[in-house]
Amino acid sequence: MTTTEGRRSKRTEILEARPVNLDGFVEEWPEKGLVAMESDFDPTPSVRVEDGRIVELDGRARADFDFMDTFIADHALDVETAEEVNAIPSIEIARMLVDPRATRDEVIAVGRGLTPAKILDVVKLMNVVEIMMAMQKMRARRTPANQAHSTSAKDNPIQVAADAAEGALRGFAELETTLGVVRYAPLVAIALQVGGQVGRGGVLTQCALEEATELELGMRGITAYAETISVYGTESVFVDGDDTPWSKTFLAGAYASRGIKMRFTSGTGSEVQMGNAEGRSMLYLEIRCILMAKGAGVQGLQNGSISCIGVPGAVPGGIRAVAAENLIASWMDLECASGNDQSFSHSSMRRVSRALPQLLPGTDFVCSGYSGVPNADNMFAGSNFDVEDYDDWNTIQRDLQVDGGLRHVREPEILQVREKAARALQAVFAELDLPPITDAEVEAAVYAHGSGDYPDRDVLEDLKGAQAVMDRGVTGLDLVKALERTGFHDVAENLLTVLRQRVSGDLLQTSAILTDDFVPLSAINDANDYGGPGSGYRLEGERWEQLKKLRHVTSAENPETEVS
Amino acid sequence: MTTAPDLGPGDYPLSVNRQDLLRTPTGKPLSALTMDAVVAGEITAEDLRISAETLQLQAALAESVHRRQLAQNFRRAAELTAVPDAEVLAMYNALRPRASSREALISIAENLESKYHATVCGALVREAAEVYERRDLLAREED
Repeated sequence: MTTTEGRRSKRTEILEARPVNLDGFVEEWPEKGLVAMESDFDPTPSVRVEDGRIVELDGRARADFDFMDTFIADHALDVETAEEVNAIPSIEIARMLVDPRATRDEVIAVGRGLTPAKILDVVKLMNVVEIMMAMQKMRARRTPANQAHSTSAKDNPIQVAADAAEGALRGFAELETTLGVVRYAPLVAIALQVGGQVGRGGVLTQCALEEATELELGMRGITAYAETISVYGTESVFVDGDDTPWSKTFLAGAYASRGIKMRFTSGTGSEVQMGNAEGRSMLYLEIRCILMAKGAGVQGLQNGSISCIGVPGAVPGGIRAVAAENLIASWMDLECASGNDQSFSHSSMRRVSRALPQLLPGTDFVCSGYSGVPNADNMFAGSNFDVEDYDDWNTIQRDLQVDGGLRHVREPEILQVREKAARALQAVFAELDLPPITDAEVEAAVYAHGSGDYPDRDVLEDLKGAQAVMDRGVTGLDLVKALERTGFHDVAENLLTVLRQRVSGDLLQTSAILTDDFVPLSAINDANDYGGPGSGYRLEGERWEQLKKLRHVTSAENPETEVS
Repeated sequence: MTTAPDLGPGDYPLSVNRQDLLRTPTGKPLSALTMDAVVAGEITAEDLRISAETLQLQAALAESVHRRQLAQNFRRAAELTAVPDAEVLAMYNALRPRASSREALISIAENLESKYHATVCGALVREAAEVYERRDLLAREED
């Protein structure tokens, strides 16, 4: 028979209606850099050293270096080993990355001298399973962790405090916020800091803002770390971002000089999205970002495309390239907060498959971050996972026996910390003479899901209060005093302990987080020692018992009852 | 502190293993930063800062685990502890593309070197001036 023009099969109609077909897909266009990692327009690896100086990098002579080449040649690469390690066949290096008998230290030593094009040449040989094998070994911190977004569509500080407390209790090691109305920042940053310390002492918080403002909040001790320090892989896009490798390097020193943990942010697709990829593949340009971050001496990098995930997500092999960029950050011995961040797909299957290359091997922060609020309240343009996925995430951890940093927590405990966070913030606002938080708002915070479940705030009064926080020079220490004076002694003590960490600088080392006991855990005292089966981080013991718990688990002794 | 002690990975975290080496910029030991002291008003924001000496210790630790660039960042940071917040922010803004003339950058470098003895930072700013000139990233006449 012949088909009838325009008539569609029932099956096609069903497939057309699947969420995945709402996603955008495009063909590759290598000339414009719209290609993940396999492009004829990427340079061929080369390096030449004269008089202790790199004079040729990936086919370009020093006289023709742009500022990325210059910075990478002068700050990132080990000149002493460059010619030797670049001469090793790429296949040998790729095998070292995968082979558990080659130690992390050995692979890192080789990596120190490699050029961007050589690194690309190596990872191009690896499929996604090999990339995961390598990530398992190359992640800097032995114990994986996770990070949450805690924001509000109404910039409601009570919501941010309550959701921060719940997120901390569920296991996030870091909490990040940002704003709809930027002037709200001081109140929301205070809410995040107070709420976080209620949920679990030792959680680290940050507020994503323009570079200079973000630094100011950090200097005052209202936030504990910073992350949104963006870097780019081409000179023109870097300049469009109003920075250079030298300004960003100076900024890295400025943060450390105040004892504040900091990481840069970059990701595949940003250059082509900003319209100037200079005809290079997304991964080649991202490798330049990673080496720039290393050269700057910053301890870590948030990468994995982040806010540009739609770009690699739309081209063939794009998610493999994203997995590769996380691996390269870890291989370059940087902390890696590995994306799974901004909303990526309408398809739940795609959302999960996109996360497997980070979740299965484990990274320093599997998500950077996971939405600790409903996606409608996520002011980072949503996340790949949100609060409605908590039970699914916990189940996936239990099914595959992997540690994604979270755990199931029973409702009474959650309601308790949500209430305490709202009460503590109510007390702090009253003590600092900020716009009052009513008992009705506290009660709403205990049981709420999203910002629509809270009474509306008087926004104008809040913004005046936020300005007052800046004008009066309120610091983290003032928050400690306010909490202590109002009877929240344990929360005050937690916050003071976090602030005291600045004095020691321990959180400045690679991949540092704080344990429940306020012990800094970094790539020095918790260095990844994976060396094949039976070694490295294993989900076992007390932690595994925690992760076996879900909302509904049938009791083995009495099948009529549930344990949770 | 006269000479930096020979630190290795076993000394980390300093806040647990080497509290003896840690002092605030105001000279207090970590153990002085208690809630009682906060309530008594004996602790100021200045007491919760990191000192240049501590950053040098963290640099030595980073170097002991072969993180050369991270150690260098801590050395620049040690120098910047002496520079006031507003001045640090102004220097950062001056390093943005096309924000400063060559002369302005050199004068920032000289200021860092002479006033704050910040030679590692000074060298970074001088290097920026050189690269910005070559890549046309200095402030333009009409700017």
